[in-house]
Amino acid sequence: MTNLMFRAELRESLSMALKAVAAHKLRSILTLLGVLIGVFSIIVVMTALRVMQTQIEGEMSGLGANTFAATQFPPVYFGGPEGFEKFWRRKRITMQHAKLVKEKATLASHVGVETHLWNGEVGSRFTKSTPGVELLGGTPANFLARGWDIHEGRPLLEEDLLNSRHCCVLGNALATNLFPFATAVGEQVKFDGINYTVVGVIAPKGSSSQGNQDKFAVIPISTGLDRYGRMMRSLTIYVQAPNQSAYDDTMEQVRGILRTVRKVPPGKDDDFELFSNESLITQFKTITFSVRIGVAVISSIALLAAGIGIMNIMLVSVTERTREIGIRRAVGAKKRNIMAQFILEAMVLCQLGGICGVILGIFGGNIVAFYLGLPAVIPIDWTIIGLVICSVVGVVFGTYPAYKAANLDPIESLRYE
Amino acid sequence: MTLWQEIKEGTVISFAALRANKLRSGLTTLGIVIGIVTVTLMATAIQGLNSAFRASISSMGSDTLYIHRFSWFNDSHAEWLKAFRRPYITLDQIEALSQQATLIKAITPFSDCRLPVTYKNRTSKSVTVLGCNEQFVNIAGNTVAEGRFFNAAEASGGRPVCTIGSGIATNLFPNISPIGKKIRVGGSTVEIVGIMSQQGNFLGAFSLDNQVIVPMRYYTLAFQHVSDYEIHIRVASMEQIEDSKEEIRGILRKIRHVPAGVEDNFAINQQEMFISTFNRIGGIIASAGLFITGLSLFVGGIGIMNIMFVSVAERTKEIGIRKAIGAKRRTILMQFLTEAAGICLFAGLLGLAIAFPLTLVIRQFLPATLSLPIVGLAVGVSLFTGVVSGFLPAWRAARMNPVDALRND
Repeated sequence: MTNLMFRAELRESLSMALKAVAAHKLRSILTLLGVLIGVFSIIVVMTALRVMQTQIEGEMSGLGANTFAATQFPPVYFGGPEGFEKFWRRKRITMQHAKLVKEKATLASHVGVETHLWNGEVGSRFTKSTPGVELLGGTPANFLARGWDIHEGRPLLEEDLLNSRHCCVLGNALATNLFPFATAVGEQVKFDGINYTVVGVIAPKGSSSQGNQDKFAVIPISTGLDRYGRMMRSLTIYVQAPNQSAYDDTMEQVRGILRTVRKVPPGKDDDFELFSNESLITQFKTITFSVRIGVAVISSIALLAAGIGIMNIMLVSVTERTREIGIRRAVGAKKRNIMAQFILEAMVLCQLGGICGVILGIFGGNIVAFYLGLPAVIPIDWTIIGLVICSVVGVVFGTYPAYKAANLDPIESLRYE
Repeated sequence: MTLWQEIKEGTVISFAALRANKLRSGLTTLGIVIGIVTVTLMATAIQGLNSAFRASISSMGSDTLYIHRFSWFNDSHAEWLKAFRRPYITLDQIEALSQQATLIKAITPFSDCRLPVTYKNRTSKSVTVLGCNEQFVNIAGNTVAEGRFFNAAEASGGRPVCTIGSGIATNLFPNISPIGKKIRVGGSTVEIVGIMSQQGNFLGAFSLDNQVIVPMRYYTLAFQHVSDYEIHIRVASMEQIEDSKEEIRGILRKIRHVPAGVEDNFAINQQEMFISTFNRIGGIIASAGLFITGLSLFVGGIGIMNIMFVSVAERTKEIGIRKAIGAKRRTILMQFLTEAAGICLFAGLLGLAIAFPLTLVIRQFLPATLSLPIVGLAVGVSLFTGVVSGFLPAWRAARMNPVDALRND
């Protein structure tokens, strides 16, 4: 029964609120505009940030699932050259280290080794590629550890490594660039003046606009080291754990093996870096955390100003409708009903403004995506947060006027002109 | 009635109206105050960022050219690779350039590396070791604080002497004067002849005082064997900097045998490039920041407009009476505009009063001050907001038909 009453009251308050909003169109629109801009300011900034964040995270996700990498240098470094000296003085990671990790890491399902060899222009018998194609040296396990799926042909094989063959696997963008008319497999390509036979092509990475990720080629690392030298070269070891549950154990095991083979005394810090997609992204997020919080705070100030505007206009509206309130009280409305009526009015204004603000904000934020040529995003969490904040603003700034209305003396307010 | 009297009367009436609705006026003011405070703080922070940047690059003189194989800013990796394949700039080429160039004040070859520096049992692990000639002191943006810079004879003789940065002096010689002492730099021993004055750090990244400056001839002997150098040149006068650049370009192209029609195989860098890059990025940050904070001011302006509309509606009768006894449109317009502008101006001043202590907080991180242009801007913007957002309501009041207005209850 009470439930029914409550519902009836709510419905009545809501319809009265909507009528009041509709009765003063100009005033409602201006108030609504204030909230709209407040929410727009939050959503537009957060959407723009999300667009860039998605892009950066995509670039950081170079590794396959359950994979981590070991390198001499940290992948992300902020600070002066003084701090970087420490990494320079570390021992390089050599083929021997990689071999020992491969032999001893019993928990790992695949251990790959990779190194950057050369960067430049590649030629086929048809055409030349754009400059800046990356030539990597790799092993068969890299294809699994880095999530390179084979599109056509075959990946590198152990035999290619053993015999240091002059064969290569091309990234998808590079293959279509060099061989626009037919398959690349079996053709010859020229890197740095040397011919290599194409044995396979890697499938394109995802659907995002990161075409650059596919602009590379892999040759057997043994061929690469023979050709480009082992001096001053620090390799990257990729280790793939068989599944998520074994991931941490695998990482610890590899850490132990690397410490042993690199003769790091107990108690000393590692002289190498272990990182995965997740650790990179987490690191990136911690670094940018304070920036994001600051931006969120600055962009919500406009909403505060809008809240004050709402409070002001609600106070006016309460004063104007003193008689109406008096009559409602006289015919039996409780304080609660009056309070609900005015809070609902404030919330309706806020929600209308909030919804428009969210829509405009998402559009505005994605203009950044459009300009930078990135995929558009819809930050669902911020949409919800924006609307929730809106309701909170409505309640917070609507409460005082509503309280004032509810506590008017019915007799005095009936007499009011 | 003259315009001045009208303004005076309008002011009196609007102040009475504002006092009559204290809560309402207070809230409206608060809305604008928030906007003004955020905009002022953002402007101060941006200005602080700018001056921090300027202070940081002051070590590069605006009249100094830095010639190297690489350009400081490459648009693409391909461009970098192209620069990477260019032939080295050798000491002979620099010597030839210094003999042929006429529009320059000072010229020095330049190269640096990082080495540990030791005095007795104290060691500084990663110190920038610079090789250059005696003219370096006329090019770099700092002076000798104690002792002297090495002279031309020492430079051409490649003597093992050095001038050290103030950071090294305080780190390695906490209690005694370093002049005349011998330090180990990498594997060689050099004698200290002077100490440079303090310079601070470069873009917050690394200290400029953590350096040891040795004659280039000694530097090539002891520390570096690859013949690839930078050239630092101070031009004869700032007015002729473009002429100097052209002259140097011509001479270098001749010395480095660049055929006609082929692009330069070296890059002439200058401070300008840093500033323009910073301005581009800083401009984006500044406009985004001001846009976001400007939105809150805009919201405050909407609040004023809204409340002014209410106020006009409430005082319809008053307007009718004033018009009936002879007030002109202009008078009514002026009355309401004054009211709106008055609120905003007051809010602007209040906002400044609140922003001032907050700028002191910002000063902990950035060299920011609440400068006069920003104060002027804040006051101007608040007045502007008041006039713009007050205009429509005031216009509506001014256009009222006195008969209808009087009939209104």
